[in-house]
Amino acid sequence: MFWRMITKTLIRQKGKMLMIAFTVVLGVSLSTAMMNVMLGVGDKVNRELKVYGANITVRHKDAALMSDLYGQGVSDKFLHEDDVLKLKSIFWGFNILDFAPMLEGHAELAGAGDVSLLGTWPEKHAVLPTGEDLHTGLKSLRTWWEIDGEWLNEDENNSVMMGHLLASRNNIHVGDNITLAGKSFHVKAIFNDGGNSDEKILMTLPALQEIMNLPGKVSTIEVSALTTPDNDLARKAAQDPRSLSPEEYETWYCTAYVSAICHQIQEVIRDGVAKPVRQVAESEGTILNKTTLLMILITILSSIGSALAISNLITASVIERSQELGLLKALGAYNWHIALLVLVEVMLTGLAGGVVGYFLGIGFAQIIGQTVFGSYIEIARMVILIVAVILFFVTLFGSIPAIRYLMALKPTEVLHGK
Amino acid sequence: MGNKRFKMYMKMVSSSLIRRASRLVIAVLAIAIGATILSGLVTIYYDIPEQLGREFRSYGANMIILPEGDSTITRETLNSLREIIGVNRIVGLAPYRYQTVKINEQPYIIAGTDLEQAEKNSPFWYIEGSWGNSQDTSSVMVGHEIAETLGLKLGDTFRVQGVKYGEQAEASRQDLSAKDNQKRDSAWQNFSRILTVKGIVSTGGAEEGFIFADVDMLDELIGDTFRADVVECSIAANAQELSELSEKITRDIPGLMPRAVRRLTQSQDIVLGKLQALVLLVTVVVLIITMISVYTTMMAMVAERRREIALKKALGAENKLVMSELLGEGVLLGFIGGALGVFLGFEFALRVSLNVFGRAINFQAALIPVTIAVFIIITVLASIIPVRKVMDIHPAIVLKGE
Repeated sequence: MFWRMITKTLIRQKGKMLMIAFTVVLGVSLSTAMMNVMLGVGDKVNRELKVYGANITVRHKDAALMSDLYGQGVSDKFLHEDDVLKLKSIFWGFNILDFAPMLEGHAELAGAGDVSLLGTWPEKHAVLPTGEDLHTGLKSLRTWWEIDGEWLNEDENNSVMMGHLLASRNNIHVGDNITLAGKSFHVKAIFNDGGNSDEKILMTLPALQEIMNLPGKVSTIEVSALTTPDNDLARKAAQDPRSLSPEEYETWYCTAYVSAICHQIQEVIRDGVAKPVRQVAESEGTILNKTTLLMILITILSSIGSALAISNLITASVIERSQELGLLKALGAYNWHIALLVLVEVMLTGLAGGVVGYFLGIGFAQIIGQTVFGSYIEIARMVILIVAVILFFVTLFGSIPAIRYLMALKPTEVLHGK
Repeated sequence: MGNKRFKMYMKMVSSSLIRRASRLVIAVLAIAIGATILSGLVTIYYDIPEQLGREFRSYGANMIILPEGDSTITRETLNSLREIIGVNRIVGLAPYRYQTVKINEQPYIIAGTDLEQAEKNSPFWYIEGSWGNSQDTSSVMVGHEIAETLGLKLGDTFRVQGVKYGEQAEASRQDLSAKDNQKRDSAWQNFSRILTVKGIVSTGGAEEGFIFADVDMLDELIGDTFRADVVECSIAANAQELSELSEKITRDIPGLMPRAVRRLTQSQDIVLGKLQALVLLVTVVVLIITMISVYTTMMAMVAERRREIALKKALGAENKLVMSELLGEGVLLGFIGGALGVFLGFEFALRVSLNVFGRAINFQAALIPVTIAVFIIITVLASIIPVRKVMDIHPAIVLKGE
């Protein structure tokens, strides 16, 4: 009998119930979309922040930074080029997005004297032992460069790219040929870095290794990795990993802290010292934390908003049916009967609306992900649970004022039409 | 006559609203919630470049100013720079002077700067110990590399030596005794001072190979007046504003060469653009949902009053009159809800901003009329369809109760 009454109401009150269901759909889809975006935003923004370039540099443990200060002071300690691809084999290899080895050098540019040279992998394609297809190179680490001409290809050993200050001082243009250390090179592009690279010439690694007579050597490796913002544990570990207890060490090693990734890089690069570039690594953390907090607050507030809207409408539509429920009372139904009837109706409607809303919300989240970040947002399962719990309480609390109103209902008054 | 009619109209609209106070509260609440979220999000949307832009300043200086040719950067230049950029936009503005000195007869570079400003410029530096300041000038910060090479720890002292500005060093001579040569080193054209290590700088970059000291102390040490080799500025501005600024600086202060740090400016614009797009999309989704929610509320309100409307029609009210009354109610509801929402929304945006960025937010006065207008339009639009249905009401059928 009870279920018959419920199904009958649901069918008869199609319009009303559809409206409740519709509001639930909207509210749930908004919350689902926002929560999924919120949970995914850290990862997305982290990837966006990769445009700032490398956050880890690896150099030889005896090659001091101070050699940079005296211009041409090129160190005689080198890393090995064949170690570079091992970066992808570390525990957090999946988090290493891009990397490029760099070799510094200098040579005589005909008509201009001694100039600084940079040898690198402009682009690199390789298949790793794991079968993974790798595509990386300096091009991905210098997104801010303004290029006149085109980037060097992987094995274009006879072409170079030139910093715009050096080029304009020597009146060299794209397409010219220059003579470097007795060899002729084609200027494929002129780049504007806005930093001290503007005075240098960029070429492929093999070309510079040949000029400098340093086969298989590189001076530094630039690495861009997805990292977790530092916390106290990470700071403690950065001072000295040996100071951690075994449990702490395990947590640290298995979290993508920049210090943990550096530690793992040092395990695979012979004689290498990996250091976080604090300018990039630290600022990333600040911005990530702020953006995530911002999204959490917006999510909470819009969830509160849609919860209020849903409970609002439930209250309104239940009160509207006072006549029908008054009749039930007049026929001898108990208060709890009516309360249960109303609740089950609303809950069923809410459930239907919730399911539709959830999938709609996932759609919304993907639209946001595609439009803003150009990639899919991962669906977090826990959102289902959170939304379901919130929806349950929202419908419950939305029904309470209506039910209290029904309890106080006097059948005669209602049926009389007051 | 017309005046009387208008009075009657207003009376009908307002009394109908007052009579159904509880339903009214529900409708206003629905509109106010929508308006709150919307105006809050729009405020945040407009403030993101400003607020988050400041957070991006943790990447450090985004403009480098160099002297051109023989010109020098003096204190006056710095002051006029500050004026041109605008004090509000400057996060940090630090002049740097580089000087080669000898420690244990090895060459090192001291960077003299305004340490307070440098700290604002470079929040990403990790300092073991503490930042130096302009009061205690004999305490300096040394780069991590130098500390390691010289074996310096916090609180250690070291002696820097060198030749004063514009003077020639006298080389040691083999025919003089060691004592004489030592005397020559401490002659008037040379300087020598003992400094204390107050902090050790780690950055993962070239800064680890410098000693950082107060610029006035350095000037006094080398016997020269203030002159900066480079000025690092951290300015809250996007790439376009920065390039306008550098044009203005080149024009107004001759002899300066401002250079925006492309890596920071370009990247900041990309990331900020994405974040702003994110909030914009969220705002649009919320706006759509709000509209529909207001629409359903208005539907419910009108549907519930079929009897009343039928009675009015039976008493001879024309469709036009009934419709205008219902729409009038919609306008009033939209106004009240919208007005309430604007202020709640600002409160909401303020809380978010204080929590996330720790700064107050600018109140967008233009949002008040815009939000109210938007919500009047939404409520009126939401009322139109249910109100049109009013036309189809047959008084007899409705009043009979079918």
